[in-house]
Amino acid sequence: MASKLAVDKHVRYFRYCLDMLPSDAAAFDAIRMTLAHLCLAGLAGLGQVEAALSAARRREMVEWIYAQQIPPTATNAAHRGFRGGSLFGPHELCAHAAANSGNVAATYSALCSLLILGDDLARVDRSAIIGALRRLQLDSGTFAPHPDTTESDPRFIFCACAISAILGDWSGVDTDAVTRYIVACCSFDGGLTQAPFQESHGGHLYCCIASLALMGRLDALPDRSRTLRWAVFRQNDGYQGRMNKAPDACYSFWVGASVEMLGGHGLVDADAVSRFLLQCESPYGGIAKYPGTKPDPLHAALGVVGYAFCYPDEFPRMAPELLLPESIASRLLHAHHADEVSSTGTGSELDESDKSDSN
Amino acid sequence: MCETGEKCDSGNDNVPMSEQDTWKDVAPISQDDGANTICPIAYTDEYREMMGYLRAVMSKCEVSQRALDLTSRVIVVNPGHYTVWVYRKKLVEELGSNIENELDWVTEISEKHHKNYQLWHYREALVSRLLDPKAVSEMTEEQLVVHPVIRRELFFTSSAIESDSKNFHAWSYRQWLVRTYGVWEQELGFIDTMINEDVRNNSAWNQRYFVLMGDGRGRPTKDAGSPMEGSLADSEIDYATDMIKLAPNNESPWTYIVGLLVRHAPAKLYTVLLPKLKELAADGSEYAAAMKTTPFYWSALVDIYEQQAKDLPDQADDLLAQASEVCDVLATDHDPMRNKYWEFRKDQLVPNI
Repeated sequence: MASKLAVDKHVRYFRYCLDMLPSDAAAFDAIRMTLAHLCLAGLAGLGQVEAALSAARRREMVEWIYAQQIPPTATNAAHRGFRGGSLFGPHELCAHAAANSGNVAATYSALCSLLILGDDLARVDRSAIIGALRRLQLDSGTFAPHPDTTESDPRFIFCACAISAILGDWSGVDTDAVTRYIVACCSFDGGLTQAPFQESHGGHLYCCIASLALMGRLDALPDRSRTLRWAVFRQNDGYQGRMNKAPDACYSFWVGASVEMLGGHGLVDADAVSRFLLQCESPYGGIAKYPGTKPDPLHAALGVVGYAFCYPDEFPRMAPELLLPESIASRLLHAHHADEVSSTGTGSELDESDKSDSN
Repeated sequence: MCETGEKCDSGNDNVPMSEQDTWKDVAPISQDDGANTICPIAYTDEYREMMGYLRAVMSKCEVSQRALDLTSRVIVVNPGHYTVWVYRKKLVEELGSNIENELDWVTEISEKHHKNYQLWHYREALVSRLLDPKAVSEMTEEQLVVHPVIRRELFFTSSAIESDSKNFHAWSYRQWLVRTYGVWEQELGFIDTMINEDVRNNSAWNQRYFVLMGDGRGRPTKDAGSPMEGSLADSEIDYATDMIKLAPNNESPWTYIVGLLVRHAPAKLYTVLLPKLKELAADGSEYAAAMKTTPFYWSALVDIYEQQAKDLPDQADDLLAQASEVCDVLATDHDPMRNKYWEFRKDQLVPNI
């Protein structure tokens, strides 16, 4: 079956979003970096970055992203990295570190966006970013997104792992502690959760599985077969994020990519997934959460990439671990091989616990 | 209302901030988005002005009532603004604001933003300040459950869950509350009510696992594979199969009972659950017929036979052959959407050497 996705309309949709969002998007003012990454990933998933954005426009975007990198002050070591948008005007006017703070989600999106735009990351302050990561990991192994918050969960573990993988430096992450936390989030039903004992959720499944994959530690899953089963059972034509919920376009990526990473490629009904996503397509471009609702950049990008998984011969391959084109991701991941990852932690201890888990 | 801060400017909502006495000594800082931008937002004039003043007070970390009022206005429009939450927390602490009023404010905006992560985390921080979890260790569960702070939070989460019964944040927060303060007694009753209202509410099924296997005394078990009491396993099998009879094509009770037993009482899968399922399937009723058309019944059989083969090596060949046949039936008749998965699953069925 050939792809029926309205590629041109989606390219136009992503370009519009990159150029201007309506006033009600003020609710996303602090995560514009994430929106940018999503739109660029959507274009990359369609193989249309160069066609949609002129070289000059791509260079401009690179400049905006670098302008969000937090410069050093005497007190902001934990706040370094990239911020989610230009919320605070010129950096030098913000004497107060907490007001002009980076966060790991924005840093992850900034690095991915720069790579998609063809930048070589030469101006990224790598040691500052790794230093901030080191300060944001909690004793339990999970990560906070930025200082002074009680928020912490696998979303930020994933960002920390993705950043480390992209920069090829895992010295900011205690990978053993991360692994222990993720293993504790493996639910009795096979799914993965936000914290131990919470309900299994497709988004946290993705964050946990991608983190393990990036660390080269998928074998730490206590019952991988049951986790794969939980993931393939989320298919209900489209994918749902939790049991007994309606299918939602974004889980075609979160769960679809997890199935890929768990070695389940080809085990799901790709035609049914793509049929569902076509129902979520807006006639004006973009993909919505549910059929008949309004599209947004998150569902559009993740819907497009999830759709592309269904037609691997027609679209550029996207790396499930990073929401980056495989051509870029494989360069990064091969340059810093997983062997180096395990050598940074105190590997022997984990090997022991691996054995007891699988017995 | 002015003492609590939040509504001080309410009479002035239509007057630009630049014309309000409260703000006349402040020079707003404009956004500097550069010449080349990504995903710019067509801000309303009100939002742009509000953010200009916010930048001005935040950049020098001004501690004042007017700053607190301003954060309220910003958060309502932009609850994902991560540093405003940090700033607000600091203001409330340093101004010595009334925590009860602050909690009322969070409750008020929860209606609009009930899916916002920061809001629930902030609520947790406020409640921990009202009733320090470390300070309640001397209190009994009976005393705690009638404590006004805990009573209110149980009520608040019940209401949030009743109006949106699968609200992930509300259930997560309720777990925090129950575990942190050790108030477990009411939970099974609450869960029963929720499951009776909607037997497909998987959040409620998960909460059941949390309450039963979370040790019930505020010490969630660390050992994921710890065995459970046989009588509890039996009563859960009864409970889950009763719910299966109500709606055989409901994934939640199937996954609940198989997952629970695989982890905590694997032998019960074939000594108790299997005979019970066979008995139900054979009784000629409407639900028996329905059950045999669901993928969940057959999928449970695969897991059960696989476990039995693992435990009883001398019968393993027969049991795995049965499991393998069930995979075929699933692939062709009862779960064709996942036919490739069932072929793959069948190949995984190998004797445990």
